[in-house]
Amino acid sequence: MAADSGEIRPVHSVRAAELALPQVAVVPRVDLRVARPAALRFPIDVPRPPVTRIGLFDARPVVQSFRFQPSVAPPPAVPKRAAHVAAASATVPLAPPSEEPQAGAKADSPDPPPKRTRIAPPADVVKLSERFFYLLQPDLETILETSSLEFPRQPFPFQFDGMAFLMPRHGAVLADEMGLGKSMQAISSIRLLVRSGEARRVLVVCPKGLVSNWTRELADWAPEILVAVIEGDQQRRRWQWSLADVPVKVANYEVLVRDRDLIAELGLSFDLMVLDEAQRIKNRSSQTSEAVRSVPRRRSWALTGTPVENSSDDLVGVFEFIAPGHLNERMSPKVMGAAAADHVLRRTKDKVLKDMPPRLNRDERIELSVEQRETYRRAEEEGVLRLADLGQEATIQNVFELVLRLKQICNFDTFTGESAKLDCLEADLEEIHASGKKALVFSQWVETLGRLRGKLSRFGALEYHGGMSTAARDEAIRQFKHEKQHSVLLLSYGAGAVGLNLQFSEYVFLFDRWWNPAVEDQAINRAHRIGAAGAVTVTRFLSANTIEERIDEVLRRKRDLSDTILSQAEAPAASGLTQDDLFALFKLVPPRSASLRAA
Amino acid sequence: MERKGAAAGKQPLRPGGGIERSMEQKSAEPAGGTAPGPRSYGFLTAVESGSHGVFGGYLLVDPLGRPLEFHCTAPVKVSRAQQILFGSTLQSHLHGQQIGGTLLAEGTVTPEMVLTDLEPMLHVRSHTKLPVAFVRDATSGASASAGASTLVTCSFTIGNATVSPHATDASREVDLRVRLEELAAAVDLREPFERIRAAIDEAQRR
Repeated sequence: MAADSGEIRPVHSVRAAELALPQVAVVPRVDLRVARPAALRFPIDVPRPPVTRIGLFDARPVVQSFRFQPSVAPPPAVPKRAAHVAAASATVPLAPPSEEPQAGAKADSPDPPPKRTRIAPPADVVKLSERFFYLLQPDLETILETSSLEFPRQPFPFQFDGMAFLMPRHGAVLADEMGLGKSMQAISSIRLLVRSGEARRVLVVCPKGLVSNWTRELADWAPEILVAVIEGDQQRRRWQWSLADVPVKVANYEVLVRDRDLIAELGLSFDLMVLDEAQRIKNRSSQTSEAVRSVPRRRSWALTGTPVENSSDDLVGVFEFIAPGHLNERMSPKVMGAAAADHVLRRTKDKVLKDMPPRLNRDERIELSVEQRETYRRAEEEGVLRLADLGQEATIQNVFELVLRLKQICNFDTFTGESAKLDCLEADLEEIHASGKKALVFSQWVETLGRLRGKLSRFGALEYHGGMSTAARDEAIRQFKHEKQHSVLLLSYGAGAVGLNLQFSEYVFLFDRWWNPAVEDQAINRAHRIGAAGAVTVTRFLSANTIEERIDEVLRRKRDLSDTILSQAEAPAASGLTQDDLFALFKLVPPRSASLRAA
Repeated sequence: MERKGAAAGKQPLRPGGGIERSMEQKSAEPAGGTAPGPRSYGFLTAVESGSHGVFGGYLLVDPLGRPLEFHCTAPVKVSRAQQILFGSTLQSHLHGQQIGGTLLAEGTVTPEMVLTDLEPMLHVRSHTKLPVAFVRDATSGASASAGASTLVTCSFTIGNATVSPHATDASREVDLRVRLEELAAAVDLREPFERIRAAIDEAQRR
């Protein structure tokens, strides 16, 4: 670079690298680092204190949800409870049953809280959601009130219990004692199921003589439900079975047996099948039982006041209809009772109708007249001798014939026509007739009824038995009910023990004894039932020192068996009137080959 | 329908016109998922079980008192530490938020109102837009306790029940009363709580 002439010349910049000059790194020789003092090390790894974490509900609880379809029942026009809501007063209790005497009720006493009946889930419903369905329903009284269902009479609280028992069950035996309204409970339950849409096709099967009873009760307790009675010739029955828009059909057992194939051919099935007097199917191998069990159905209800007539096998037969295989004949009575418990509801009048008029039992032990006694003695001796002669050839039939012959003599002397029982009966009827009361007289034999009618004509005696046409029987009932001069109705156990409502009768006479006490109870309960106005006096004639007394002892043991199964009590020492029992009546040993049951 | 020992080949009916079940277990979600549907009423309560804890139950019924939905919680167990730390706010938090709020969030229909027979459950009002009211026996003569007195300011009697709306809803007393009348015409307003307790008892036994 030249600066002496003042002339500005271009300057060339040359980098050191271009001159290839050696480059020297200059390192300061002064150590600027300050020496650190020697560190003292103290241990500082003291562990942190443990922290306990307390959950403060930061997680929400798990929820299970269940949803139910709304009821299909239409809303009520005017709920009955509305009145009490408007008045903001206590709940209006259900009116007391009109037929129930309100003994001891004080006019000024406060109304007790109304009973509310819950529909409990049956034991065989296992899913929690389905059990909830029942538990979360309103009580039965509320369901009825909000469904606008009218009843001709206010049901008793135990009848609500019966409905709550039937409604949720697919297999049920309503085994209430006669007279407690099994039909009404079943019909009301049917009505609720039809109303809710759970049942659209219902079949009621009953004995022939009770078909008109059922149609009448259905009209009373479920007037809005159409009912078809299956009857007439086959063409007519085919048409009746095919009626699709009739929710309830009523058939008798004989029609059901006859139409078994027709039902199958038409492909009929039912949402509910109800058997009245279901003891009819206790024999599983009978045509009736097989026909009943062959009908396709979803629910099976059996109504019977006598689920155990003779032996525990009877109940097994009924269960083959309601819950096949649930019971078997190898079960002891106690085990069977426990197994059946959830399917069977049994109430007796003394338990549920505290205010019902009492039933007064008189066991009239009657001494045969001298001639009658002699006839009886000869017949028994000859009969026993004949049986002894037969030895191992003796059959149950031979014994049975002798029993029947002796019983007939106890009623009427076959030679003289004398009857100590009749003398006694006439004396009682004089008083009953004079006081304007009514009496029922039961006998095992139509022939006996005929003889009695002749002897008791001054009391306006009427007959009612299976040898009469339905129309004649209905007319007899009508006359007995409405015509004052007829004080006595003579009935056979077979025709008169079931289904009749004769609660205006205050006296019942068992002129002779039936083979099992359950049938006798049914007979007695024609009079001693809901609606009975006063005490019912039951007189059971028993000829002293005769076959009747010996049979009575066996009957008492049979009653014990029924109680055992239905109450799950201890097993009784003996059960039923077996062939051994029958032979034992005459102190005979049954032949080994005989194996039939007698009754 | 599942039944023990049902006869083969038979198709039993569904009870009561059928059940649609939602059996899935799921955690509660925030409220607000409900949709308008048929008119309904909610009944909310809790049951204390010594061994398990507190179960919550929420029943939705139609105007005839028939069940539409039921929701129940798993038991909530309160520890001693939680009792100490929550102090006097424990019950309101447990019933109002943990149980009540969770259950209300599960409903798929919007009820006219929610009724409870437990005073602490009134705190659920802070977690829902639905009106909430306390129900008690009108004939017992018992009044709402001090705990509830800050939450309710008015009450009315309908049937056998005294209904005390949450203070937030006090201005709607007349409206709430009108809404309840249809249901009260069908059922005693205290009665559905019995059903909830019976269902929770059944759930515990199983």
